[in-house]
Amino acid sequence: MDTVSPVKSLTRRISTTVAGVAGAVVLAGCAQNAPQDTWKPKGDNAQMIYSLDKLVFPIAGIVGVLVSALAGYIFVKFRDKGQAIPAQSHGKPIVEIVLTIVPALILTVVGVFTFRTIMDLAETQDTEMIINVTGQQWWWEYDYPAQADQGITQPIITSGQLVIPEDTNVLLRETSRDVIHSFWIPALNGKKDAVPGRIHLLRMQADQPGIYAGQCTEFCGLSHANMRMEAIALSKEDFAKWVANQQKPYTAPAEGTLAKEGEGVFINQCARCHQVNGIKDANGKAIISAPDENVYSGAAPNLTTLMTRNTFAGAMFDMVNQKCRADVWDAKSEDFGAKYLAGVTEDCLNEKNLRAWLRNAPAMKPMYADPAKLEKTNGLYRGMPNLGLTEDDIDKLVAYLLTLK
Amino acid sequence: MAIIERPGTSTTPVVVTPQQTLGAVKRPVATKGWREWLFTVDHKKIGIMYGVVAMVFFIIGGVEALLIRLQLAMPDGQILSADKYNQMFTMHATTMVFLFAMPMAGAFANYFLPLQIGARDVAFPRINALSLWLLIIGGLVLNASWFLGGAADGGWFMYAPNSGPIFSPSHGVDFWVIGLQIAGVASLLGSINLIVTVLNMRAPGMSLMKMPVFTWMILVVQFLLVFSLPVITVALVLLMLQRSYGATFFDVSQGADPLLWQHLFWIFGHPEVYVLILPAFGIISEVLPTFARKPLFGYPFVVFSGASIGLVGFGVWAHHMFASGLGPVSVAVFSVATMAIAIPTGVKIFNWLLTMWGGKIWYTTAMNFAIGLVVLFTIGGLSGVTHSVAPSDTQQTDTYYIVAHFHYVLFGGMVFGLFSGFYYWWPKVFGKMLNEKLGAWNFWFMVIGMNMTFGPMHILGLQGQPRRMYVWTEARAGEGFFNLGFWNLVASIGSFILAVGVLFFLINVVITARSKQQAPLDPWDARTLEWLTTSPPKAHNFDRIPVVHHLDEFFHRKYEEDTATHTMKKVAEGEDLVRAEGDAADAHIHLPSPSYWPILLSIGVGLLGLGVVYGIPMMVIGFAITLFSAYGWVLEPSVAEEIDFEPSDNDGNTKEIAPLG
Repeated sequence: MDTVSPVKSLTRRISTTVAGVAGAVVLAGCAQNAPQDTWKPKGDNAQMIYSLDKLVFPIAGIVGVLVSALAGYIFVKFRDKGQAIPAQSHGKPIVEIVLTIVPALILTVVGVFTFRTIMDLAETQDTEMIINVTGQQWWWEYDYPAQADQGITQPIITSGQLVIPEDTNVLLRETSRDVIHSFWIPALNGKKDAVPGRIHLLRMQADQPGIYAGQCTEFCGLSHANMRMEAIALSKEDFAKWVANQQKPYTAPAEGTLAKEGEGVFINQCARCHQVNGIKDANGKAIISAPDENVYSGAAPNLTTLMTRNTFAGAMFDMVNQKCRADVWDAKSEDFGAKYLAGVTEDCLNEKNLRAWLRNAPAMKPMYADPAKLEKTNGLYRGMPNLGLTEDDIDKLVAYLLTLK
Repeated sequence: MAIIERPGTSTTPVVVTPQQTLGAVKRPVATKGWREWLFTVDHKKIGIMYGVVAMVFFIIGGVEALLIRLQLAMPDGQILSADKYNQMFTMHATTMVFLFAMPMAGAFANYFLPLQIGARDVAFPRINALSLWLLIIGGLVLNASWFLGGAADGGWFMYAPNSGPIFSPSHGVDFWVIGLQIAGVASLLGSINLIVTVLNMRAPGMSLMKMPVFTWMILVVQFLLVFSLPVITVALVLLMLQRSYGATFFDVSQGADPLLWQHLFWIFGHPEVYVLILPAFGIISEVLPTFARKPLFGYPFVVFSGASIGLVGFGVWAHHMFASGLGPVSVAVFSVATMAIAIPTGVKIFNWLLTMWGGKIWYTTAMNFAIGLVVLFTIGGLSGVTHSVAPSDTQQTDTYYIVAHFHYVLFGGMVFGLFSGFYYWWPKVFGKMLNEKLGAWNFWFMVIGMNMTFGPMHILGLQGQPRRMYVWTEARAGEGFFNLGFWNLVASIGSFILAVGVLFFLINVVITARSKQQAPLDPWDARTLEWLTTSPPKAHNFDRIPVVHHLDEFFHRKYEEDTATHTMKKVAEGEDLVRAEGDAADAHIHLPSPSYWPILLSIGVGLLGLGVVYGIPMMVIGFAITLFSAYGWVLEPSVAEEIDFEPSDNDGNTKEIAPLG
């Protein structure tokens, strides 16, 4: 057999592989603009995890390099050079014992730090604010219970984008209405599953105002890939403005406008499932949506302040166009609040996607929304169905939705 | 195969009168054509069939993987719909774990375990055949779903409640549940069979601590299966009752806790990981000493570390659930236990390296794959340590970082081990050597392809790309050198290089099969008992049951230590040793006869299972066939009829065994 060249190429290959992987792993933390980079902590909790990584990854890397170097040395040094077949020694117990104790000691050190971080990340005594987070196929709902010290005097219900004040220990209380989802904003903390029938707690804290990307990370069925979310951190003043805006009373569009006609379309077509707080019909009667009568999982996003969020449909689509999106995402921390609070203006609206969604939602996002295939759910939808709106209806609706700020 | 009860020269011929039970069917005696294979109970034939079946599923699972990588090569992939993609990754994992990895390990175990311990077959040959056929039926049921309304779409972990009848409305999950139950029964029967074989049928002198490490690792795996398979079976039955018969075990509105499924699944699922990797560890623990010309360094440590990996493996399941909301104390305990399991695993790596230390390393394709395992598994093991750290794992779990980790462990580890086994034992099984040149192409394409495919996934995961997404979006891809777009493309290209590597293996198999050149009897200067017989081995494995005095018995029959230089010098050739065995053949060699019942019973069980989807009538038919086969099995004559025996050779010698039928 040819012995020399495989040895050389093998060692070369191994050393490049090891160097490549080690280098890649180290450098991966330096990439620009990867919004879900796990090594760019922007809050205390993610920072705690990152500090552990900074201990563990180098240890793993060094062990990997040492073992590979030893392996490479052995592969070359002890190749068949025509030497006699060696004595059949069966090992040295002392070597085995040392090679057991050394890794055990290293892992003990890692274990101690790990244990401490696990306990720190489970701490809830320092909570300053509570938000209930509910997963549903395939979007997130955030409900802010009234908590006077945060200026929230009546509950706020929103979806898609979690808005928190900067430098505040927020405790998320997660659950789900259907299957298991997992809430994950890598820059702020690790992930925690949202399990139906259970409430799981997850700490959130952001050092600075900004927008932090996240994604559902427990496989949750057909549109799992499209179940995204963002966390928005605002300065305390901006957060107070956001809260005030969320709580302000509903203003119906002026009579005779396209938006007013849109309100009518909304009441006829959308209000069965989607709540807009304060909306009244022509007789002045409050309209209360009943999504549980139409949707299997029991809820649909509350649209009261739809245009304060810059995504829609489970954060699958941007509500704003590319330019305005970049404006918000790339904003400096100190400018961010103002830009975010501006909400979706007519110039910024991503009209193409919004119209397509209103025209035929199931064509835009895989959902179980085919009316012919709902026998198992007794006719209840799992996602937004095609409403068969006319282009005229859509014009009116878009005009109306733009007023929901 | 078949019954061979031959008189020795010095004894009165023994005439065996088959026991004729009332109404029983004659046993089959065919030794040619397809019938020989369908009704065989020979562990070697069954082993080969396991191998062929596993290889077919490896190719199917591989094509599924390529489709997945094609879909993800670019943002917003259009190759597969969300629905098809979810089926694809579910079936890729299910196929690779249950229909490739386990059966392929089963192929090696079936074929070599009896040979390595100097036995003539396994303890229960008909049950062995039943295991094979049940596995095949289970695999067919699983894959039939592709053509019967769509495959399972809940991921191989099939978390409740997403696997329920509402959230997964097609019959895919039903086929999955049935297929896995059938395949599970197959594995369970196989594991009991192999445990009994190892404990009862070792050649004289082979104490447990003289057993080859491969046999040891297979033994550990069988115990893992015996204790873990019942758990998944319970879970599958619960899920089946929920989906098909209205039970509410995982229905939250009825008070269920979905975490029940996760615990049941991973109490099985984590030992399963060791079920997959330990046979590969066993294989390279044979290959490395053979080609380093040294015994395994620290044999008892390797054996006990394998056993302790198996044992501790039952105590770490919840590390798959660090984000599930277990509570900090549980998380801390499982985190530390998971770190602990790295220690015996590290012991193995060091022992393999030290086996080569001071050796005389002969680089063959088998050896290259074994070395590949050591290096690639080390990388996978170290990334494993990084997610034993539970807080870090909450950032890593369900991202491509995990996909990278377990493919380094399972592809770089397990698959490389199995390929090492192919090249090492091919001449033993088929009497022909796989081509070493093509083997080199095979190896290097697989090494490069594997690192190109799974290496970048470390980056993808740490950059926050979750798993199980049918599309990824440009908006979350980032820019710069580590953008997701570039590395997804690299991984996809790598997967095709990997596929070419596997293609080289298949070409090698075809070329070798067509070649006329016979392999030498002991091509690798091997160490263990399976080489102390012809290649391929005769139906009865050994002409004489060997008496064992050493670990690595075969090597020690060939070599003696030169006391002056402490090196080994050859005192006998393998061919001579095999010939000597033939000259002293045993007088009575009794092998079990073929049987109709294992395959028929499996078909009955398959129909019984399909009845869950297709209704009571099919279930009744399946049950009837199963019951009939069970009766036939019990009443079967213990041996074939006398007419099957060929007349004695002229010289009355027993060593030549005539084909029967």
